[in-house]
Amino acid sequence: MGYETLSLACVLAPLVGFAVALVGFRTRHNVAAAIATVSGGISVAAAAMLLVQMPHAVVEARWFTIGQTPIEFGILLDGKTIIMGGVVALITFLIQLYSVWYMKTDPGKGRFFAFLAFFEWSMLAFVFASSLLQTFIFWELVGLASFLLIGFWYEKPSAVAAAKKAFLMTRIGDVGLFIGLILLFRATNTLDLTQILGIFAPEGAPASIAPDRVELIALLLFVGVIGKSAQFPLHTWLPDAMEGPTPVSALLHSATMVAAGVFLVARLHPLFLDAPATMNLIVAVATFTALLSSTMAMVARDMKRILAFSSISQLGFMLMGLGAGSLFAGFFHLTTHAFFKALLFMTAGSYIHCAHSNDIVAIGRAGAARKLPVTTFGLLAGGLALAGIPPLAGFFSKEQIIGAMGHYPLFKTGAYVAAFLTAYYTFRMIFLIMRPNVDSAIESEAPHAEEHHAPHETWFLRVPILVLSLLAIGTGFLGGRIGHALGIEHVHEASIGAMAPAIIIALTGVVLAWLDFGRRGARQVGFIASVPAIQKILENRWYIDAVYNATIVRLAVGVARACFTTETRGLDGAADGVAYGTSGAGRIIARSHAGRFQSYVALAGVIVAALTLYIALR
Amino acid sequence: MIAEGLVVFLTLFGAILAVTQRNIVRALFGLGVALGGVALAFLLLNCPFVAAMEVLIYIGGITVALAFGVMLSSTGRIEPPEGAGRRALAAVTAVALFVALAVVIWTADFAQPASTVEPDWSVGYLGRFLLDRFNVVFELLSVVLLVAIIGAIAIAARYDSPDPTASEEDES
Amino acid sequence: MTVHGWVFFSLMLFALGLYAVLSRRNLIAILIGIELMLNAASINFIAFNRFVADDAAIGRIIVLFIIGLAAAEVAIALSIVLNVYRQRHEIDAEALDELKG
Repeated sequence: MGYETLSLACVLAPLVGFAVALVGFRTRHNVAAAIATVSGGISVAAAAMLLVQMPHAVVEARWFTIGQTPIEFGILLDGKTIIMGGVVALITFLIQLYSVWYMKTDPGKGRFFAFLAFFEWSMLAFVFASSLLQTFIFWELVGLASFLLIGFWYEKPSAVAAAKKAFLMTRIGDVGLFIGLILLFRATNTLDLTQILGIFAPEGAPASIAPDRVELIALLLFVGVIGKSAQFPLHTWLPDAMEGPTPVSALLHSATMVAAGVFLVARLHPLFLDAPATMNLIVAVATFTALLSSTMAMVARDMKRILAFSSISQLGFMLMGLGAGSLFAGFFHLTTHAFFKALLFMTAGSYIHCAHSNDIVAIGRAGAARKLPVTTFGLLAGGLALAGIPPLAGFFSKEQIIGAMGHYPLFKTGAYVAAFLTAYYTFRMIFLIMRPNVDSAIESEAPHAEEHHAPHETWFLRVPILVLSLLAIGTGFLGGRIGHALGIEHVHEASIGAMAPAIIIALTGVVLAWLDFGRRGARQVGFIASVPAIQKILENRWYIDAVYNATIVRLAVGVARACFTTETRGLDGAADGVAYGTSGAGRIIARSHAGRFQSYVALAGVIVAALTLYIALR
Repeated sequence: MIAEGLVVFLTLFGAILAVTQRNIVRALFGLGVALGGVALAFLLLNCPFVAAMEVLIYIGGITVALAFGVMLSSTGRIEPPEGAGRRALAAVTAVALFVALAVVIWTADFAQPASTVEPDWSVGYLGRFLLDRFNVVFELLSVVLLVAIIGAIAIAARYDSPDPTASEEDES
Repeated sequence: MTVHGWVFFSLMLFALGLYAVLSRRNLIAILIGIELMLNAASINFIAFNRFVADDAAIGRIIVLFIIGLAAAEVAIALSIVLNVYRQRHEIDAEALDELKG
């Protein structure tokens, strides 16, 4: 089958699924779910065939023209888009299968699957975009899908607030992105990706564009990335986004949507390579975010929150790799992270469903680990990958990133610390779940005594977890093929000696976690608790949210309130006043229509007198 | 000069009576006096025939008719006073019109006739005009009078009610 | 007296008649006001006839017609007044407000 048909099928199948499910079957939940899942399946099949063929082509059509520049719309096929598209399609399909189990009793099931299909379409159209305008449009639509899905349970005020927060914060980033795109268009006079990538080809920026301008464009684009990929300072929306259903967290907020920012940097990597100052900034911000986020994950008790902080941190790692100049490192980690993070979220959903609580201590004490064997297998696979333990995938990709940061000794150290913390918090989570100590010093809610049903794992749960576990274990060895597909000829394979520090650091983290949480009779409070002040700061997420609330949010709400008052009292009042005034004046004038003919005659007399005077005096 | 002054005074006196008296009969009386003054004014202005017609028709006919009207529609002799607002508005309008027209008159220049022929003031001359130049108007006027009388009868006539249960008022 | 004087006199009469029409409540009183206004016009014509007209008959003829038409008008007006009285048993101008609105 030709690549045109395949790519169109891949991108458009979810759109059809969304439209059909939403319009026709919102109340026929199972039909809607089936339609959406089938469309996801079509996308995966098409993506798989594209992966095999790996064409390099563009399929596009003209939309409109600005001045002399035609703006096109279409599908760009190359290594990056096909790999990313395959990842998105595969994970979405697995999530859809998982959601059949997870959302089984939810009254909004049909709507959920429709929105998932909508998201898939937006994400694929974003990935395969052939022009930057299309990229931007679908970047925004992906944000909309995130809003709809985070606030899926719209009766919950916390969910609504989280959806709003996510949308607004990413919107702040989007302003930067938009301005950056405008400046880029003015500098290069085109929005077509192939042309732009040709202009900024690795030989260096053309002389026609000032280097300052290139830096500015790259910086503004990075602002958009900060918003979408939840880096400091626009990271606070992602932990709150866990209010959405777990499949949403697994799909959007770990594997795909937040990776859109990283993908944008990878997509425009030639441009970024011509902006070295911005690249330094990217590395700095990413490292700082990775560290910041790992510290917050160390003390969190809600399993989904831990994974959210972890996602922020790992996104930081990806940006570190890209910022350090290695397209392969960042992209590879994006791929592996998508697999193991989605896997971990799926296990979280399973555990939470069993223990009726998000708290890892409660999950542990409910004995969930023993009751859900496949889930626990997935937890271990994903956890080992996340911590960067060889030979799982996470180790290879993380190692590529650290290897690329040779020019940044300070940030490389930061990356090592972050990797250590990653291993620590990951295994803290694992140990608290798998080896609960009922007598330990921490409190938790007592697990529910009554159980409606014995927890069991259906195939809709097992298959996605097993598939992703396989990928989390094995993808590390596909690095060479991925790099080849990206157009990078030789992948930097480090020697064992160079890989040693990373392995040692990861193992140290695991050991420390075992000491704190895993061994028999452990106090299970973590070493941070010995400094209560720091523990408090970390639990409150470094008070960043509080600062934002006190300043920016309060300012924005104040402005909104002022506008509202002006609108209702001022403008509406003026309009109402005109209406009342007119009807009041009408009422007054109506008195002259009292029906007494003498007033009419008087009026006529006055008018005649006036006219006479006027004519006489002219 | 004295005669004109007296005539003006008389007429205005009567007019003021007619306009301000609450009692309608007194008002009618004032009207009669005013009309008499007007007739005298006609006399002074060298039109005795018109003065005679004025007395005959206006005072003798119209005033009497109005008196009949008062008689047939009496609700009591004293009419209730009008509101001050209405009187003020009326006064304002009357004064406004007066002022406007006065300004017109004041600034007007009435040219004297250039004819050398002495105008003929006789009644015969007038009569010849009526049958000669203004013949049509004269005839039309008589038709108008006829129509007016018939119309007045038609409007004011009482028709016997076809409904046998309705009571008939007896007024005369 | 000059023609201006007579015309002013007729204007005063006219204003008085207008005042009566506009301010009185009795319909007959309003008719009286109308008659005063008509007479004022007649005086105007006769005055112009005496001082300005080149043919002494014109003004007189016009006034004769005015008088005649006034008579016709009074006849009809009185019949209307009588009709109003018959229906409402009063002839108050304030009560005749069916044109209201």
